[in-house]
Amino acid sequence: MLQVEGVSAGYGKFNILNNISIKVESGTTVIMVGSNGAGKSTLLKTIAGVVKPAGGEIYFEGARIDGKAPHQIVELGIAFVPEGGRIFPDLSVYENLKMGSYTSRARREFQTTLQEVFELFPLLEKRKKQVSGSLSGGERQMLSIARALMSKPKLIMLDEPSSGLAPKIVTHVFEFIETIKAQGYSILMVEQNVLKAVDLADYAYLLSTGNLVYQGKKEEFLQNPEIKVSYLGI
Amino acid sequence: MVNLILNGLANGILYGGGLALLAVGMNLIFGVLNVIHLAYGQCVMVALYAVYVFAVLLHIPIFISCLLAVAVSALLALLIHVSVVKPLLKAPLINQLLALAGVIIVLENLILATFGSDYVGLQISFPVFSIADIFVKVSSLIPFFVGIITLILIWMFLTRTYTGLAIKAVVQDREMADLVGVKTDRIYLLTFVIGGVLAGIVAACFAPIYTVHPHFGAGFTLTAFVIVVLGGLGNLVGGSVAAFLIGIVSQVAGVIFSSEIGEILVYTIFILFILFRPQGLLGVKVRT
Repeated sequence: MLQVEGVSAGYGKFNILNNISIKVESGTTVIMVGSNGAGKSTLLKTIAGVVKPAGGEIYFEGARIDGKAPHQIVELGIAFVPEGGRIFPDLSVYENLKMGSYTSRARREFQTTLQEVFELFPLLEKRKKQVSGSLSGGERQMLSIARALMSKPKLIMLDEPSSGLAPKIVTHVFEFIETIKAQGYSILMVEQNVLKAVDLADYAYLLSTGNLVYQGKKEEFLQNPEIKVSYLGI
Repeated sequence: MVNLILNGLANGILYGGGLALLAVGMNLIFGVLNVIHLAYGQCVMVALYAVYVFAVLLHIPIFISCLLAVAVSALLALLIHVSVVKPLLKAPLINQLLALAGVIIVLENLILATFGSDYVGLQISFPVFSIADIFVKVSSLIPFFVGIITLILIWMFLTRTYTGLAIKAVVQDREMADLVGVKTDRIYLLTFVIGGVLAGIVAACFAPIYTVHPHFGAGFTLTAFVIVVLGGLGNLVGGSVAAFLIGIVSQVAGVIFSSEIGEILVYTIFILFILFRPQGLLGVKVRT
């Protein structure tokens, strides 16, 4: 469904990604792990259209999408949940969700999608008038993921969804993601919390300083000795 | 004495209505585009000249002239946005300010070259009536009611429409707005043109009161600045409140002492706020 081929990207003179190729098959959950600065977030931002690639191609459902503007990428069906969630702090929960359905494709089905999202996340329905800046960290992450669902995406990209959250909340967040996965969405997730993330994954990539150093199905990933030592702390 | 003050109060509140529109225009532009529209007062000045051209030179009925002037103002905003503001959106602040200062000079000199430096005015007298012992000028009632109605319309636009919601989202987090599908370039253009429409409405309101000349704009920009800082940069509610306060202070001081003292008072308050409470009355609301 998503194919990244030989992409290099960076910010100005700093080249962060070198010749990265990854793939997300429809209906699967793919994770990318690696230490800080490895380029994982940059790759997601490049797919989302926020960063323009310096080289390489990105295909989504067969069509080329690299170089397109972020609003076009959303319209095509890729939703991005950036690190920290980044909900609109002065808007209510309801208004954040409404913004999630901004694209013309999603707007038509706003009410139906909203009901579906409220069924998945009943807490959000209870708090729908609350100003979202006053939500707790875990609730904000929940709202951010729900907002991504409002755009009726085919692929959801999550950038470190557990970042900055307490361990108990992290468990909740991964439960939401599990729920989304069960609904059949394709997921591309970047995480530092490797143990929990790999549990959800069908396929995994390991990035280190802008290069792809390892990839494999979940079971192979967990068996690799280097990964076990460096990233799983085993 | 009490009468004088009440008069000043009444007319100040009315004057504040028109000023509030200026503040909302500047705050919207700053909140959404992160640009300080240095030439805003000059845009009002051009719109005032437009009213003069339509009403006095072309003998078009005054109400239609005002509508046309609003259209001219919107067009001017479009031009400024496309030629100066949009290309400099990512440029350093100093470049933006210098470019807009250049726009000030261009606009003033264009008007000077076209109309000369004489004062021009509408020469319409509006009646004055009295409620109890307070004299209310109809020419002050107009900016007030038009101001309030426009403020309500703007509020409804921002809270009840999808585009209004998108504008609020862009102010809070432009990149995230991009990522939910907002075409932020269009929002920038729309907001700047709305600013132009507001400047046109201010001009239409104040046309009966003021006689205008090419350097008239500076006073408006300065007043708009004072109000916007006083209310909190980017804060629409704060700006509206501050507009009424400044309107009242300048009018009341103006009747008790003189209009010069009124000006001094306003700018002294401004300096004090910058020194001791720069976030303004209700706090700054700008992009993090």
